[in-house]
Amino acid sequence: MTMDIETVKERAGSREFNPTDDMPEEYRKAATRMLEFHANSEIMGAYLERPFIRKAPSIERKLAFSAKVQDEIGHGQMLYRAAESLGIKTREEMLDDLANGDGKFLNCFHYPMESYVETPMIAFFVDGAAMRRQATLKKSSWEPYAHAMDKICFEEGMHVKHGESILRELMNGSKREQEMVQEAFEEWWPRILQFFGPSDDASTHHDFAADVGLKTATNDELRNSFLNRYMEKAKNYGLEIPDEPRIRDNGDGTYEVVEDDLDWDEFFTVSKNEYEGSIQQINGRREAQEAVQWVRNMMDGQTTAGNSPKPQAAD
Amino acid sequence: MSTTNADLGDPTELSEDQQRAVEAQLFRLADDELVQAERYTFWQVRAPTLESDLAVSNNAQDELGHARLWYDAIQQLGYTEESLIYESDPDDFQHSTLVELPFEEGDWADAVVRGYLYDVAEEIRLAALEESTYAPIRDRTDRIQGEEEYHLEHARSWLERMSLDDDASERVQAAIDKLYPYALTIFEPVGDVESDIEALGIRTRSLDEMRADWAERVDSFLTEQGFAVPTDTEPATPVGRDNDHTDHWHSLHEEMTSTYRNLGRDTATRLMDEDDE
Repeated sequence: MTMDIETVKERAGSREFNPTDDMPEEYRKAATRMLEFHANSEIMGAYLERPFIRKAPSIERKLAFSAKVQDEIGHGQMLYRAAESLGIKTREEMLDDLANGDGKFLNCFHYPMESYVETPMIAFFVDGAAMRRQATLKKSSWEPYAHAMDKICFEEGMHVKHGESILRELMNGSKREQEMVQEAFEEWWPRILQFFGPSDDASTHHDFAADVGLKTATNDELRNSFLNRYMEKAKNYGLEIPDEPRIRDNGDGTYEVVEDDLDWDEFFTVSKNEYEGSIQQINGRREAQEAVQWVRNMMDGQTTAGNSPKPQAAD
Repeated sequence: MSTTNADLGDPTELSEDQQRAVEAQLFRLADDELVQAERYTFWQVRAPTLESDLAVSNNAQDELGHARLWYDAIQQLGYTEESLIYESDPDDFQHSTLVELPFEEGDWADAVVRGYLYDVAEEIRLAALEESTYAPIRDRTDRIQGEEEYHLEHARSWLERMSLDDDASERVQAAIDKLYPYALTIFEPVGDVESDIEALGIRTRSLDEMRADWAERVDSFLTEQGFAVPTDTEPATPVGRDNDHTDHWHSLHEEMTSTYRNLGRDTATRLMDEDDE
């Protein structure tokens, strides 16, 4: 018998539910929405970074970028699997939605990245921010989600180190390199602050996801935790925190970001996939996927016909 | 097979002629692997499925890792990564033109066929280096062979699968017709130093022997899958090995080195053990 919402809320705790539980549709939909968003973000983050595999200025950096992009595709794969286990949507449906512009993903991956000096904005700051959130998801009530986080958090830790290593190198480089990084930082900083979404009183999905234990920390808690650690780090590497958006230090480990200093119209345009960069990123990836549709058709045909020689090896 | 040639000893002990021959062998290995890896990365976040994306990324990283091993061996002879890659003239590279051709978006058949033709050649080449008289080559060969076996199995498995589908078969056949002459350039000489490479036992088989072996294996497997193999064809030009390349290589090199140039760098980052990503 399907568990009722009240029971779900009472029992909600770390890794409490798994596919053997008959969860109510509302829970399954909320969990699917989170997992699909997370998985899509892995794919679109990889798409944004892929040009820098080629442009990285040494073989070792090239290897690190290639490995990072590969990890992200692997995370996407794991998260889609965890999402499928909720029985709401198949992986194909989620990937199709991502290609046709219906799938949602993190705000930071909607902006084009032109220069190598921008790469630590993603690989250090955005991934660092993501780490804060992901660490709390190890206690999510949907066990497959929490389980995926064990591996993902470990690899994300390596990515942040990679980003930090690039930032350190750039900030120890020529004056010109340092100026270019500062400029990139000023451009990306407001987007990074918006990564955590609007402050708690303005967030719409929070209450239910928190009540059923899918989400274990609020936007404000995560933003504070990020600011505590990363403002310090940024300053240590010689970056200047822009005057705006204003960030008030409450002196007790918490901060208030002046919301009016951030462009929420842009944020909501981005989150509807209607921003110029959104369209560019989504369409770029869709075209690449359509170009290899013939391969997927071939594979589907063989699975149905059961005449594939070694399907497990050829993927 | 036992080698009758004396071991060449340490990098510092090489005579001028010996060093010239060792370098010639190392450059073709290093440049092939680097450029093959570089083209593989085209498929990252572009492969048909998440699973094939992961597999192609593995290949790219394996080849990059091999390139690094070969370039390290060259650096023991007094070169730097900067001079070898980032500040090098693109016409100083000696890779075969097979590996520099760009992929057309969606042409997964090209990726599979190219991987297959290259990996068979790679397996044959590595076997001919197992008993090299130059220890840095011998030792690296041993480390690389295991990974190459997996690449070959992967490519063969895709080809078997594609041979069962009419549309895919046509695409594979087109890729074979296009790439076979370019694959032959792998076995072209780098110049008159080639005879020293054999005479000194740096490589234990001649290019002609290796090409014949390659042609037979490729022909036998592909024919079995129902494909036609243009065995009577000549190597494509330019061949690459003689430093003559297609324009595709010049633009690829330009893009690969763009960050290094734009940032005005004079050193390529070595991460060493500081953080092993």
